[in-house]
Amino acid sequence: MAEYTLNCRGMQCPGPIMKLFTQMKTAQPGDVVTIVVTDLGFRTDIEAWCRKTKNTLVSLEEKDGVITAVVRKGE
Amino acid sequence: MMKLLIIGGVAAGTKAAARARREYPDAEVTIVTQDDYVAYAGCGLPYFVGGEITEARELIVRTPDEFKHENRIDVLTRHQATSIDAAAHTVTVRDLNSSTDTIFPYDKLIIATGALPLIPNIPGANLKRISTVRGLNDALKIRAMLDSGKINNAVVVGGGFIGLEMAENLSRRGVKVTVVELKDAILPGFDPEIAVLVAKQLREHDVVVYTGEALTEIVGNAAGEAVEAVTTARRLPADMVIFAAGIRPNTAVAVAAGITTDRGMIIVDEYLHTNLPDIFAVGDCASVRNRQTGADTFSPLGSTANKTGRLVVANLFEDTEKFSGVLGTTIVRLFDYHAGRTGLSTQEAKDAGYDVETVLVPTPDRAHYFPGNRMIITKLIADRATHKLLGAQVAGTGVVDKPIDTLSVGIAMGMTIEQLSGMDLAYTPPFASALNSSIVAANVMLNKLAGKVRGISPVDLKLDDPTLQLLDVRTEPEYIISAIPGAINIPIEELHPRLGELDAACPTVVVCKVGRRAYAAALELTRAGFTDVKILDGGMTAWPYETE
Repeated sequence: MAEYTLNCRGMQCPGPIMKLFTQMKTAQPGDVVTIVVTDLGFRTDIEAWCRKTKNTLVSLEEKDGVITAVVRKGE
Repeated sequence: MMKLLIIGGVAAGTKAAARARREYPDAEVTIVTQDDYVAYAGCGLPYFVGGEITEARELIVRTPDEFKHENRIDVLTRHQATSIDAAAHTVTVRDLNSSTDTIFPYDKLIIATGALPLIPNIPGANLKRISTVRGLNDALKIRAMLDSGKINNAVVVGGGFIGLEMAENLSRRGVKVTVVELKDAILPGFDPEIAVLVAKQLREHDVVVYTGEALTEIVGNAAGEAVEAVTTARRLPADMVIFAAGIRPNTAVAVAAGITTDRGMIIVDEYLHTNLPDIFAVGDCASVRNRQTGADTFSPLGSTANKTGRLVVANLFEDTEKFSGVLGTTIVRLFDYHAGRTGLSTQEAKDAGYDVETVLVPTPDRAHYFPGNRMIITKLIADRATHKLLGAQVAGTGVVDKPIDTLSVGIAMGMTIEQLSGMDLAYTPPFASALNSSIVAANVMLNKLAGKVRGISPVDLKLDDPTLQLLDVRTEPEYIISAIPGAINIPIEELHPRLGELDAACPTVVVCKVGRRAYAAALELTRAGFTDVKILDGGMTAWPYETE
């Protein structure tokens, strides 16, 4: 199982979700991607995206305007 | 020595008294009010109910004792002015405790009697656990009911500022709240796009909003307490009912004295004179001139009451200070969402005869890369003929008071969209974007005024039109996250090679997140021979309806 980190600070939507989308295409099921974002709209976006894809939102935290989401690729 | 008598002691009345004391050190200044309290912050009542303001005393700016000892102003609470004899220059005042009448002579009289809440004339309106939100007494009563622990469900009647602020604050106290609004939209004075967005936010915070419904009855239990509210469409559990369905000027004494009123308001001129000599009216009981239309309007706001209360004192003996009127500038906070307005709404501008153009532009409230930036949506309303800014509304989780105040000043000064676009506004990443949100909106407006692009408001988009081609030019993951039902997804980068998938003869509406990509796509479609292309104003960010 591989782990990846995507630093998307400073990126506006759709930058972060596109980065994640691209990373997920190459990742294997079970791989974990941590993504760090300053666009607060990403919060609802990542929840909806995981709900509609087979990926799992492991955690979602917001601190001082920075969102850290951990996503596990689904089967 | 002047005898100044003031009827009413909340905002306007006490402001007038305090300035009169400063300007006329020898005057005898007396306030009579039927209320138990004076000089309280009426606009703060919902926050006292919610607990953000912990004690009632925090809302009281000054007590009668303080007025007496620090300002030599006599304040008589629970004293009701029952009649005015304008010829004799006297007011009859009833002491509500002893029921005795006293005649007060005056040289100058200021009427600041405020407004009274409208109570629906329906069965059950007199039950217990029903309240208006007008005075401190109301707020104390509501807090006591909440503290009793018996209130699980509340119905708020009225979707204006007070009703919605009460909904938020009752909800903060753990009460399940339903708002019932008679009109088709909440937030009177706001355009429907903004009102619908605010309603959506309220629903996300578990406040239920029903519009286009009237309250018809309140049902009580054996103890005479409200338990259920009945509307024209449904029955709602209601351990508490809040009437916030509007207010009307409190003018009975003035009318009986022969003071001119219109649509319920005491009509005053720009120096705040009534039609009778030495009698002035200020605050919620009096009319205020709209700066743009010149019409006498009812604009019951704490900001106006404080201004007119202060200003009237300058005009007691000669006309020296003119009240410049209002633009209807207001703002509300509901949970983490904010909405402000100034100037004419789209409908008001059309009614006033303007050829109206509007834009709806989402932007971050500060640099998009700066942590903590939040989205705001700016609506501008302009006159196509003169390019003058007529109105503005800003809503979102970000800072909205700053743009609303900037735009309000612009409207007051007769600013054009070109001038707004060129404004020199404060910028550094923690506070603003390099291109300020209001300037971005002005630039979009300039593109529309120049005919470069046509837009359609989300409230006007007819999704059931079978000929409509709704084109979403965002990326695939954005489209997966949420899209308008029926939208075709062709990311902007793929648009050129995939033009063949679209019908150039069909009316086409292009949507993206905020409008930037949609604008570029609309230009491309037009170049490719599409005849009817519009962009969805505000994009997905301002889309207030269902997505899939």
